[in-house]
Amino acid sequence: MKKTLSLLLAILLVAALAPSALAEPTKLVIAARGGSHVDVINAVKAQFEQENNCVIEVLGLENPDLKQKIALDSRNKAGAYDIVMLDDPWMPEVTEAGMLLNLTEKGYQDDADFVPASLALGKAPYGTGDTFALPFAGNVTLLFYNAELLAGAQVPDSWQGVLDVAKAVNAQDGKVGYVIRGQQGNPIVGDFMPLLWAFGGNIFDADWNVLVDSQQAKDALNLYIQLLANGANYEKNDIVSSVADGKAAMSLGWPSWYISGKASTAGYAKIPGKVDADSAENPAGMIGNWLMGIPANTQHPDLALQLLTYLTSADTQKAAASSGAVPTRISVFNDEALAQEYPFYATLLEATQASRERPRTPRWGDIENVFGIELSNAISGIKTVDQALADAKVAIEDVMR
Amino acid sequence: MKKKSNALYAYMMSSPAMLVLTVLSIFPLLFILWYSLTDYYYLSTRPPRFILFDNYAKLFQDRYFMQALGNTLRFTALAVFFEVLLGLAVAVLVKSFKRGQEALRTVTLLPTLLPPVTVALIWQIMLSNNYGLINNLLGLFGLGPVNWLMDVNTAFYAILVIDIWQYTPFAFLLLYAAMQGIPQGQYEAASIDGAGRWAQFRYVTLPNVLRNVLMVTLLRVIDTFRLFDKVNILTKGGPANTTATITQYIYHNGVNMFKVGFASAASVVMTLIILFLAAGYIRQNFKAREKAGR
Repeated sequence: MKKTLSLLLAILLVAALAPSALAEPTKLVIAARGGSHVDVINAVKAQFEQENNCVIEVLGLENPDLKQKIALDSRNKAGAYDIVMLDDPWMPEVTEAGMLLNLTEKGYQDDADFVPASLALGKAPYGTGDTFALPFAGNVTLLFYNAELLAGAQVPDSWQGVLDVAKAVNAQDGKVGYVIRGQQGNPIVGDFMPLLWAFGGNIFDADWNVLVDSQQAKDALNLYIQLLANGANYEKNDIVSSVADGKAAMSLGWPSWYISGKASTAGYAKIPGKVDADSAENPAGMIGNWLMGIPANTQHPDLALQLLTYLTSADTQKAAASSGAVPTRISVFNDEALAQEYPFYATLLEATQASRERPRTPRWGDIENVFGIELSNAISGIKTVDQALADAKVAIEDVMR
Repeated sequence: MKKKSNALYAYMMSSPAMLVLTVLSIFPLLFILWYSLTDYYYLSTRPPRFILFDNYAKLFQDRYFMQALGNTLRFTALAVFFEVLLGLAVAVLVKSFKRGQEALRTVTLLPTLLPPVTVALIWQIMLSNNYGLINNLLGLFGLGPVNWLMDVNTAFYAILVIDIWQYTPFAFLLLYAAMQGIPQGQYEAASIDGAGRWAQFRYVTLPNVLRNVLMVTLLRVIDTFRLFDKVNILTKGGPANTTATITQYIYHNGVNMFKVGFASAASVVMTLIILFLAAGYIRQNFKAREKAGR
């Protein structure tokens, strides 16, 4: 009898413990921007999986696909994703639509180690509101140059200086002084915004009045056209190869175009924030971080928040540096060993701290579209600078109505 | 009684096809028509509102849409004209060869078999302003470089040439196949009557393949009207919106910006234009079938 009872008890004990011991690992799905970001997540995910009995699946998607999939899934009752990557200009659109979990309400405390300019991107309203996403990958546009073509000239710290150098280089046999990225839409807008900001202009004022036909904007666009006259208009791949190979002297660009691992194929500097030597300095580099948020319809909000904190932690960012990740934390930028390994970190941190964000409106995609068309009209000579910017103002006002 | 059971049998046999057609074509079309009358924004938290023809009014007031419409019509007219003309010419030429017709037919078809995205990327590299093959060739003659895809004078025509290069073989294939069905006796009779090559083409070949020419034209009009990949990869609608197309406009508003109602209105307009362009052929086709059925 005793034996039977003991056996029964043992069976009951095993049966009671079995579900937890043999529990299926939780599956977390990350919708990520394809390419190096996926490599970075895959490189660091093992430790989290082990510690939390979960499996992390990373879906690498192209930019437009990523946005569509996140948006389509957001209307499902049970979401397919637990963490989503977001290009920072999407934030007003996705937060207005209630697609993301409010991290502050979920108990997340802001971490002062993040570069403030990066952390601000994940808040709604921008900079001051609750946190909805954390900066996963940092980025800011820089001025890239070919040192040989500058031939000992100082790297210009004003746009008049850039034009002077471009003219001097252009006078050399067959060399391109400055390359603009003048393809209609996102490319030309991204390429022109730093000039607009450096000249003290902007697209909107604080009350959302459209300013693109201001004198500053006209001066900036006139200088942009002069740069084109002393240079060329290429698409991204041609920009990178021409500057790297010494066919062209300067261009603006994202660090990942030129910098891979430790090596850079071109010199780099913060984008000039001054019009000329005597004018005031304005922040001019355009920030473009990849953020990570948790969809409001995730099935695993607590574990997703843990994973998000892990993926954006200083330790993970340090480990991910060798996979090509650009940090968003001050402590990682300033880490001595990493700074020696990646000398561009110092410039990147300085540029990020002095960066500008694109206007925070859910209609940014439409604004970029119409502004890009009118900038293209101006550089093509179809319209005068005044006409193009006046038309851009009308078109942007239409978008905002 | 027999007539009734025949009709029932016919309905039963065609019902799977009707079901597929209803689910895949008719429902989406009705939805698009309905959405085009609403302010449906996919990310909105409130249900769509009925706004009657506001989207259509806004569409025709939008200068960028009108420009895209004009570009699309111009592009379609030029591309289809040259594709059909060259396709016909190549078909006549290949048919005239005594040997190697099969090999030539296969080789000629290759561009059509490539996905449009691959074609766009290959041409992007060839047309590069920096290291492109075409500019390098021009350089040998002391010409260029030409900024093919970013110059308002060349971008539209560069994409046009790429499209003609890719789809002329499609026109060739259909017209060449049609020519195989022309009885040899007609050529022999024309030859006995003293008809030269041009006269044989004009009075024998052309009348025999005219219906096929119309069909190829229609198919190419429908397909060219949807031009998207090449523009999206090569120019993004620029420079100065000179290569923007209706599909790109719909894609931006519907897929990028989630303005489903507005994009639906643009889609309806596009569908109506294609139907209008195809109406003549469709009417003629119905008449021919009715005749054959009598």
